[in-house]
Amino acid sequence: MICIKQLHKSFGSLEVLKGIDLTINKNQVVVLLGSSGSGKSTLLRCINFLEFYDQGEVWINNKKIDFHQTDLNKVREEVGMVFQHFNLFPHKTVLENIIEAPIYVKKMKKQEAEHTALELLAKVGLKDKAGEYPHMLSGGQKQRVAIARALAMEPKVMLFDEPTSALDPELVGEVLQVMKQLASEGITMVVVTHEMGFAKEVADQVVFMDEGKILEQAPPHVFFNQPESERSKKFLRRVL
Amino acid sequence: MIDIFLSTYKFFLGATWLTLKLTLTSLFLGSCIGIIFAFFRLSKKKALNYLATIYINVIRGTPLIVQIAILYFGIANIVTLSPFWAGSLALAIHSGAYIAEIFRGLIQSIDKGQMEAARSLGMPYHLAMRRIVLPQAFKLAIPPLGNQFIIGLKDSSLVAYVGMQDLWGAALSEASSNFQQMNTYIIVGLYYLALVLILSYLVGKLEARLEVDSKNRPNRTFKNLFQFKTASS
Ligand SMILES: Nc1ncnc2c1ncn2[C@@H]1O[C@H](COP(=O)(O)OP(=O)(O)OP(=O)(O)O)[C@@H](O)[C@H]1O
Ligand SMILES: [Mg+2]
Repeated sequence: MICIKQLHKSFGSLEVLKGIDLTINKNQVVVLLGSSGSGKSTLLRCINFLEFYDQGEVWINNKKIDFHQTDLNKVREEVGMVFQHFNLFPHKTVLENIIEAPIYVKKMKKQEAEHTALELLAKVGLKDKAGEYPHMLSGGQKQRVAIARALAMEPKVMLFDEPTSALDPELVGEVLQVMKQLASEGITMVVVTHEMGFAKEVADQVVFMDEGKILEQAPPHVFFNQPESERSKKFLRRVL
Repeated sequence: MIDIFLSTYKFFLGATWLTLKLTLTSLFLGSCIGIIFAFFRLSKKKALNYLATIYINVIRGTPLIVQIAILYFGIANIVTLSPFWAGSLALAIHSGAYIAEIFRGLIQSIDKGQMEAARSLGMPYHLAMRRIVLPQAFKLAIPPLGNQFIIGLKDSSLVAYVGMQDLWGAALSEASSNFQQMNTYIIVGLYYLALVLILSYLVGKLEARLEVDSKNRPNRTFKNLFQFKTASS
């Protein structure tokens, strides 16, 4: 599904990704763990080309993406992203947020787009909020709308960058619940999170990053019970 | 003073109309120029960026009266511009530089996450700019643009020096025939003051609409703003 080979990325003199190799299989949930600054967000943003890597390769669906030649807009259509701070469009209603890209990018008919949007809203439990503006919603509701908005493009893979980190603790559950449901439907997901419970329960693979490298990759029961490196042991002691 | 007011008001009202035409024409053109050059300033293309930087610096760095004179007398050798169009163009080019900086600042003030979210949905840059970023920037533009429009209205008085009978032009010729400089200039000053107060009032109204709207509908766009229906609907 997604194959990353020897990815390098620097910001000025700061090397943030130091040769990442990672394969994400179809229908899998991969959870990225690691301490702050280890490059998790940067890796995620390289997968949908919000960030351009310096060296290495990204393959999506057996196609190598060359960002000078490939139409990146087409790539991004197939790679949904959910941000820590939601990034809903404040001048549009919940419904308008969701139908924007299907109408203007996929050229879907408005009626059809609204129909799908309402189905997605029902799925994330917010059908009655269709006409509201984002500022009327709680953080958890905003994030669920953001998930619906990304799903509306029918992406082949969903990227989540700390989707619950900006939420009040009591609102985290409702967002994780939606994500669990997506996982159970077999949607391919790459999730950066500090929610260890979610990682244990939902992940097929846990990837532990440290200082721009992948130190460990294992199924959750292995990673959480028998971490290999000193780094990951220390990390787990801190977060568990 | 009242007698001067009464003997000049027909003449001055005609001149007021010319001042308004000059102001509206030049501010409309200036806004168009401003938006275009704001994009040039934000462009990754070096040439466009330089062009915009030079334009903005030259315009902001030279007096408006010099710009008007150059356009009127200098360009006159190449194409003949009527005083009205020379004046309007000079005022437009002048205010365009300031408006460009206003728009650039506003576009840059919109959270980067908005553009990123739009791009992550597959929206091309220009579509994301037009549908997501600009409507939010335009909404913030009303106070600074209103301010710039007030400056533009007053600046238009300088076209009197290329022979236009705008408000200030009318005042100059009136004063040279009635020899009542002081009183004539006070009266014309009051005309400007009235125009500026009306303009500020309209800008304030527009802003208030936005405030009211943002209580239940935040960030309404220009398009929505000009549909004058009750906010509660
Ligand atoms: N646009 C940028 N310009 C310069 N440096 C950056 C940029 N983005 C990220 N960095 C730096 O790259 C490093 C890795 O950042 P990244 O956001 O990928 O880490 P992270 O693992 O997601 O951390 P966190 O848990 O804090 O989100 C950090 O040191 C950060 O300061
Ligand atoms: Mg991060």
